[in-house]
Amino acid sequence: MNFVRGIQAAFFSCAALGALTAVASAEDAANWGSFPGYTLKVKLVGGTQYEKLYTRIPEWEKATGAKVEIVSSKNHFELDREIKQDIASGAITWCVGSNHTSFAPQYGDLYVDLKTLIPQATLDEFVPGTLAASMVDGRLVQLPRVTDVSNLYYLKDLYENADNKAKYKEKFGTELAPPVTYDELKQQVIFFANPPNLYGTAFAGKDEGMTGRFMEIVRANGGDMFDENWKPIFNSKAGVDALQWFIDIYNAKAVPAGTVNYTWDDIGQAFAAGTLAVDLDWPGFAAFYNDPAKSKVAGKVGFALSPLGTAGKRGGWSGSHSFSVTEACDNKPAAASLANFLTNYDSAMMEARAGNLPTRTKAFTDVVEEFKKSDTPYMADMFAVWGASLADARTPPLVPQWIEVSNVIWPELQAAIVGQKTAQEALDTAAKKATQIMEDAGVLQ
Amino acid sequence: MRFFRSRLSPPILLLMPAFVIITLVVAVPLLFSLYTSFTGYRLVQPASLWQWVGLRNYQRLLTDVDFWWAFGRTLVFLTVALNLELVLGLGIALLIDKLTAGQRIIRTIMMFPMMFSPILVGFQFKYIFNDNVGLVNNAIQSLGWENVTIPWLVNPVTANLAILMAEVWMSTPIFAILLLAGLMAMPRDPVEAAKVDGCNPWQVFRHITLPYLMPFVYIAMAIRSLDVARAYDTVKIMTNGGPAGRTELLWTLIARTGYQDARMGMANAMSYASILLSVYFTVYFFRKLAAARRTMGGVE
Repeated sequence: MNFVRGIQAAFFSCAALGALTAVASAEDAANWGSFPGYTLKVKLVGGTQYEKLYTRIPEWEKATGAKVEIVSSKNHFELDREIKQDIASGAITWCVGSNHTSFAPQYGDLYVDLKTLIPQATLDEFVPGTLAASMVDGRLVQLPRVTDVSNLYYLKDLYENADNKAKYKEKFGTELAPPVTYDELKQQVIFFANPPNLYGTAFAGKDEGMTGRFMEIVRANGGDMFDENWKPIFNSKAGVDALQWFIDIYNAKAVPAGTVNYTWDDIGQAFAAGTLAVDLDWPGFAAFYNDPAKSKVAGKVGFALSPLGTAGKRGGWSGSHSFSVTEACDNKPAAASLANFLTNYDSAMMEARAGNLPTRTKAFTDVVEEFKKSDTPYMADMFAVWGASLADARTPPLVPQWIEVSNVIWPELQAAIVGQKTAQEALDTAAKKATQIMEDAGVLQ
Repeated sequence: MRFFRSRLSPPILLLMPAFVIITLVVAVPLLFSLYTSFTGYRLVQPASLWQWVGLRNYQRLLTDVDFWWAFGRTLVFLTVALNLELVLGLGIALLIDKLTAGQRIIRTIMMFPMMFSPILVGFQFKYIFNDNVGLVNNAIQSLGWENVTIPWLVNPVTANLAILMAEVWMSTPIFAILLLAGLMAMPRDPVEAAKVDGCNPWQVFRHITLPYLMPFVYIAMAIRSLDVARAYDTVKIMTNGGPAGRTELLWTLIARTGYQDARMGMANAMSYASILLSVYFTVYFFRKLAAARRTMGGVE
């Protein structure tokens, strides 16, 4: 009897599995559609960390019968410039483009509202906050592929060093532990700094990197960049305190003097060289820092949540790389299918295994399990910390003028940091210029 | 065919393709960009092409302190870079001209910097002058000054010097190769006659070689004064005009305004204001070239 039951169970299991496989295949076919003979033109962001995902494109081509032609593959800033030129010349001859939450508001009605092309059930599988940040004026103009938010990397041996612990306790009366607030972070980076061999930290000192880090602390201090009528308000006390934070660590020589010219790569190289104690940075650096072939600090890196500001909040400057579909596309279902495919669960897992924050909720938990099973607790720890910080993630203001406003802010921040102006003077000047931009655009009356 | 034969003379007919092409690829874009400088044209809003703002962009430029600082800095940068490149290029050309063996190899090696893209040169010099992990500071520290860290790309003087050095490194070979061509084309008889008459090497150089080279010098200067904007990529990578606008040149400012900010109308107004600079340098060098040719008895 038991034998018969066993046979039955095995039979039903196989049948169920077969049925499930058939359903899955049917779903796949239904998901990706059929576009035999169609050539889909795409413009994708280039670079090692982005291009691995594109190795999945042949799978989509096989499933749909379509061909993908990559008509442009450049870094994001060059791609942004090219897309603006396409808009200006009216030459939108391509269907899918790489996008970013910071860039998206600039492009007006270039891209379609993907809510009309992607099933709601699929959209429900995305991390809700990440999907919400992909909307511009209520339109879902992009499907996010990876998310970025910053947290702290620190050198564990510095924090575990008995001498450091004793000196820190003697000086500040508290135990040496990864910082919880920006005030603590300032205190610690100044404490650790021993230039030129070791600096407390470094920050991106130009371009949107500088504005973004400033915005993060302004928000953590309870302020913001604009009020509800788009009037610039970053020259408030929260803003001045935020800028003063940068000035203080710069004057204390807790950061390399050249940090005002640094971008992400410079900071990454410095931390990997072991010359920074703490680094507030993006998740994409985690694998690099732990690679003994490339990093002197491999095996010594710890993670902590980004600090809280004076308002007890995290700034959580966040953004997502994404894919969009153009309004001018002659086959929007095919374009939406590719965007969907490149952001689906399998794609998300591929991105996550490389250390990027996925945008599908399930991929987040699954990749942590996978890292634990494969005995790589370092990456599992990283995902745990970064996952926890997503609740506080906020994009820059989703307004077309953001990049332009950022470009008047960062030179003024630099001026204050290198001592040419006071924090208040610099921010007042920047706010005046930003106000003119918003008035010219008709956003602020 | 009969239409052309009856109305247009052969010279005009033969020149017509050149006129048409120049009109299409030079005159039309120039006029179009001039028009846009009187509009609020934004790259991402094609409809703004028809938003006529009159002289507003130019009026704003007149009171824009940042623009005039960038204008002045560009003028100084051009003057210093071109003169340094000339002096070094002339020196290199004179030395190579003296070589009796291996001149071809040296000429090829000398041209290596020209083969690098300005972006790569930017990354290279940014690394060399990085205050934390850069070559220069590491060399200084290895020589015993262990606590010395010079922020090369932050200090207003050293940052501009670092950019200047990158530009000079990249472009001196252009001067050297043009002047070497001039030296190789120079007749040897006057030099030998001067030596027979008892002139010392300096007198030969000052009164025979240099006057012969001057047309080449001014041609090289005119070409380089227009071509020096290639340095945009280098500056963009090294400092992007910062910190606090200390290394801002017209090219970085205009590119940021036109492409990142998408304010193409304003960027074009800036370009037309700065075109004065190019026109001035070109006219100046061509006048000098004509004068040098007159001195040499050449035909203008």
